[in-house]
Amino acid sequence: MAELESRLVNCFAVVFPELTAQEIPSVSMGSLASWDSVAGITLLSVIEEEFNLSIPPDEVAGLVSFGLIVDYLRRPPGDTRA
Amino acid sequence: MKLAEALKTIQAAPPDAPPLEVALLCGFTPLHLQTFLEAQLCKLFPGHSPRVQVGLFGDLMGNLRRVADVAVAVVVIEWADLDPRLGLRRLGGWEPSQLPDILDEVSRSCELLEHRIREAAGNVPLVLCLPTLPLPPISFTPLARASEFSLGLRGLTAALAATTSHFSAVRIVDPQRVDALSHSQRLDVNADLSTGFPYTLAHASALAELLAGLIRNPPPKKGLVTDLDDTLWRGILGEVGVQGISWDLDNHTQIHGLYQQLLHSLAASGVLIAVASKNERSLVEQVFASRDLILRESDVFPFEVHWGAKSESVARILSTWNISAEDVVFVDDSPMDLAEVKAAHPGAECLRFPRENPQAAYELLERLRDMFGKERISQEDSLRTASLRSNATTQRGLNEPSPGASREFLRQIGGKLIFSSEKQPLDSRALELVNKTNQFNLNGRRFQEAEWREWLKATGTVMVTASYQDKYGPLGKIAVIGGDLSYSDSSASRKLHVRTWVMSCRAFSRLIEYECIRWLFSQLDVEEIEFDFLPTSRNAPIQTFLQRVRSGPAEPGCRLSRSQFLEICPAPPHAVEELRNG
Repeated sequence: MAELESRLVNCFAVVFPELTAQEIPSVSMGSLASWDSVAGITLLSVIEEEFNLSIPPDEVAGLVSFGLIVDYLRRPPGDTRA
Repeated sequence: MKLAEALKTIQAAPPDAPPLEVALLCGFTPLHLQTFLEAQLCKLFPGHSPRVQVGLFGDLMGNLRRVADVAVAVVVIEWADLDPRLGLRRLGGWEPSQLPDILDEVSRSCELLEHRIREAAGNVPLVLCLPTLPLPPISFTPLARASEFSLGLRGLTAALAATTSHFSAVRIVDPQRVDALSHSQRLDVNADLSTGFPYTLAHASALAELLAGLIRNPPPKKGLVTDLDDTLWRGILGEVGVQGISWDLDNHTQIHGLYQQLLHSLAASGVLIAVASKNERSLVEQVFASRDLILRESDVFPFEVHWGAKSESVARILSTWNISAEDVVFVDDSPMDLAEVKAAHPGAECLRFPRENPQAAYELLERLRDMFGKERISQEDSLRTASLRSNATTQRGLNEPSPGASREFLRQIGGKLIFSSEKQPLDSRALELVNKTNQFNLNGRRFQEAEWREWLKATGTVMVTASYQDKYGPLGKIAVIGGDLSYSDSSASRKLHVRTWVMSCRAFSRLIEYECIRWLFSQLDVEEIEFDFLPTSRNAPIQTFLQRVRSGPAEPGCRLSRSQFLEICPAPPHAVEELRNG
């Protein structure tokens, strides 16, 4: 697993301690009951802290799965494509 | 603390530990402040399972009105709670013509808050934090210039803090401490607009740390042992002589004067101060007699001045004070002496006085103030050093070769015990005694403030306090007994179940414990006392007493009958009075 994914797995593990490291890469808001709005805000705050970035409010609504968050984090700075 | 670390800390807390219920009352979404606060509580209360309850969004007043059944409530006020136009989530207008109305609204909110805080503090201890966020750009002045409007707002909240600081059971977060710990950006506009949580993570973390510290409210240290040369003053007395030492601006040694000033202040607030110095005693006596030290000779007891090891001096000081090393701070400029004392007394806090660095020394002064900080100064605090001195005289009399001679001595010194059975849930000295006494302590049980109040409110609960004085002066309140009255199953006679009993070590060797029991039997009209005794690592004195009066082992639930006690108790050497109405 690449370093970015590994760090992101750790973020998910902190917010959703019931998940195993193997389950996390396939997880999404729709597939995980405990991923409610508060957990979502907490997850994004943990990610901001871990990756030292600020996620613009416009991006938040689209970050609803592990894969989509990986895609967002891989985007070059300034790239605003959804 | 990082948010991820906070979440891990909460997850690692033992779920089956006794709960610690805390209410977080605010008008904004508590979100990460709740997480950080719970994590800090997990760290500060390792034997508990802290749970932070929150109220309704946007309803600070209602949340305050509804608070109940928690150990402590934390009230975090922000500008938007005082007038929504001072927040970012409402568009009520920032026109200059509206500013007087906003001031009026904030004034009304502060009055209502004062009322609600007074009511809530009658039921539960409160930790109160006034607005920590910057005001929005509402005033017409440039940002660097304070406006009449912003100064008026801050004046109103400062007045609210000043008024509520007089309420019993209200602890207010010091804004100066917030400034020291939270120095980066505090307002998170994105989070406030999208979720209603207005704080940056860094600010939420710093605030939670302060709030949790005030919830824990740790007992202050009791005594400070200080070195003299290059600590209390600059210079080596044996080398430069009595006139060669200094603690002033002219000699660039003012930091030692500030240290003396702090120690004098600590002594006046009941902290025990002793000296441990490798020096010629006669020279030190000359200094205290002829130089105008800010720390006075009467502030210090005892003086250990000789060429022996500092650890031995500290051992004798601890024995004189009759407290443990854990309650003591030792300050010295010598790393070697600090290490030697630490090795012999691992529980003692050993701090170096950094004489070469006034900035670091000033930080030491701040740290000392924090370690000895207390909510209020009691009558007992102002008596402590004087009573220790007289105690030393008394102990010499009590060490007479025969018990009869000791009792005679007690009669000669005119000891008087004053009992009070008024239940006073707000008597902070009684709770303080229960929570910090180790040696004559029935079971080592500590009480949270709310738990203590609730218990005392119950029907059948008894609380008795005893104060003592003799010809050497008053010792103040020295004993607290708490229990429940009931009727024995078999004989229908009254019985007292003692849940807590503590007595200050300053009152030892005066047979006061016998008088306490005698008073309980006679004034409460009970035939039997059952003791909630538990052995601890430090309560040997009460264990020995129970063994003696029972002529049997001290064990959990052990009992003592009136007849059993009267057979063994000595004749009373004190006059006894009962204080009515207070």
